[in-house]
Amino acid sequence: MTKYIPVAVGGLSLLMAAGLAFPALAQVGGAAVTIENCGRTLEFDEAPERIVSIGQGTTEILLSLGLADRIAGTATWVSDLPGELAEAGANLPRIAENTPGFEAVVGTRPDMVAVQWINDIGPEQGRVGTFAQFEDFGIPVYVSPAECAKSEFGAASGDGARSEAWSSDLLYREVAELADIGGVPSEGEALIADSREREAAAARDAEALAAEEISVVYWFSSPEIDGEAWLAGGYGAPQWISNVIGLRNVVDSHEEWPLVGWETIADHDPDVIVLGTMKRRNQPADNVALKREFLETDPLTSQMTAVHDGRLVELDAHAMNPTLRAIDGVARLAEAISALGLTR
Amino acid sequence: MSYPRRRFPLGWFLLLAGAALLAAGSAAISIGDVRIPLPAILKVLGRQIFGLDLTVDPIREGIVWHYRLSRAVVAAAAGGALALCGCVLQALLRNPLAEPYLLGIAAGASTGAVMVIILGVGAGAVSLTLGAFGGAAAAFGLVALLATGTGGGTERIILAGIAGSQLFNAATSFIVTTSASAEQTRGIMFWLLGSLGGIRWPDAGLAVPVVLICGLLCLRRARALDAFAFGEDAAAALGIETGKVRVELFAITAFLTAAMVSLIGAVGFVGLVVPHATRFLVGPGHERLIPATVLAGAVFMVGADVLSRTVVPGQVLPIGVVTALFGAPAFVAILWRSRRTS
Repeated sequence: MTKYIPVAVGGLSLLMAAGLAFPALAQVGGAAVTIENCGRTLEFDEAPERIVSIGQGTTEILLSLGLADRIAGTATWVSDLPGELAEAGANLPRIAENTPGFEAVVGTRPDMVAVQWINDIGPEQGRVGTFAQFEDFGIPVYVSPAECAKSEFGAASGDGARSEAWSSDLLYREVAELADIGGVPSEGEALIADSREREAAAARDAEALAAEEISVVYWFSSPEIDGEAWLAGGYGAPQWISNVIGLRNVVDSHEEWPLVGWETIADHDPDVIVLGTMKRRNQPADNVALKREFLETDPLTSQMTAVHDGRLVELDAHAMNPTLRAIDGVARLAEAISALGLTR
Repeated sequence: MSYPRRRFPLGWFLLLAGAALLAAGSAAISIGDVRIPLPAILKVLGRQIFGLDLTVDPIREGIVWHYRLSRAVVAAAAGGALALCGCVLQALLRNPLAEPYLLGIAAGASTGAVMVIILGVGAGAVSLTLGAFGGAAAAFGLVALLATGTGGGTERIILAGIAGSQLFNAATSFIVTTSASAEQTRGIMFWLLGSLGGIRWPDAGLAVPVVLICGLLCLRRARALDAFAFGEDAAAALGIETGKVRVELFAITAFLTAAMVSLIGAVGFVGLVVPHATRFLVGPGHERLIPATVLAGAVFMVGADVLSRTVVPGQVLPIGVVTALFGAPAFVAILWRSRRTS
């Protein structure tokens, strides 16, 4: 990845990291931060000292902002931390690997909860609790802005649907807001500048790919290995990745991860199948080896062009969610697809 | 319940039910997420069944032959098997409510299958079926023990069955939710409501022979089943080795249930509704009833599967939801119609 970062930008972030002391000192004055979040107004008189982070995407933003020592608890892990964050996040307290209980979260006595998924903590209901439940304890809940635009959390797809397409702008807004709340706005600006540059570099790199129409599906996991599959919809992070690289995602549902039958997928016969890799093991098709085995042995899917011609690409499932890793995903996927020789 | 005197001639019934099965099967292979024109479907069948040299898109062929047809065949076999179980259990227990789901046998089979997966004993459909059989037999034993221990009687066995199915369903849910590795087992919904989602041809290779062999074994005991309908003493007076026949038939139903649960999960209502509906049409004699019930169960299940895939566009309902949703009103209608004659 780092090879895409021009030296100038790397130098700039170093300078900003060195200058961190000034904004941190400025915060002591107690400039209050007010943020509009999912239809509510959150006010922070001072930067929170004990943050509980639910969702690995949020945790990684906090770590990237250098806020590791303010994290009082984490939950909902999907995979290992990326190399550059491994050291900073080595000793993070984990409340739960998956969804934590309400009492366990409150029990860590946080002065703020930051949550990646609105179906963990939401306005009316949530797997952990509701906004009101946390308000009762005086704990503000910050939800990833990417989630506020979601609706329709049906039984078939617990991840909901979007009313508008996700783009990295929503991610940068989250980074900026969390940096403001945490009292490190310049760290936020540096992270955004760095990410934008990596995004642009990856897009430049993928220009050769965009010359040809390449169709693609993103397979996250499945509730049954040989049943229907959760594929990336037309408004989520994988769609954004596809747009940047110039790929055509054959699924256009507005659901985040619609459940699609292999009949339909085989009928679209995409050029490339992107397989999610993850450490998580709570759905039958979480393991990427099982995904491959199914595709190669099933009498229908083994007939698909992508399987036939060995165009199965592995991508960290975390990069398929609206997180900082989606930025890396652009470069990784562009690289993998040009390695398949799909350029003109 | 009493049945009308004028009955459908068996030959006509089998002919009509066979035609209905063919129609339901045709619908099952024509309907799906992807529209495949009829000529393409016929080409696939021509190529696969008659070995004709036709050019077909391999993906369309995969969809029609490997997904839809194998699914329809297993649905038919499972429907036939569950209806047969209900038919035999209703006669043996002299209870109109007896069927594998209500008696907790299906729940026991689920628990057995899940335990085999989690403990990792053996592999493949056969060991899964054996595990399910162990669970089904345990559930049977428990229900029989509870029923006789509390004084016997036909209503006791249903109460015992309900207790048993609650217990075993809870055990299945417990094992599935607490197991460390989800990729080994299917979801709870599969074990509680059934699914035809992952069916392929090897499953049909197990389901079809099982239902045919068990069907013939039950047919061989048709006269004994007739006699059981008048009570065990009457059957014994007719020279039937009641103990032996009873054990044999219980074992067959437990095995049939186990085989089907390991393939498609626990599906209710087929075993309850179909035998009654069929008895109403062809009469209570088991020599006629058994083949008619198996065929009717097959039609019901293939039809239910088609409905499960079409009622909500773009979404597949659990098969157990459809069998109950359409089975329950059908059952009420049967009860209502029989009210005048009783």
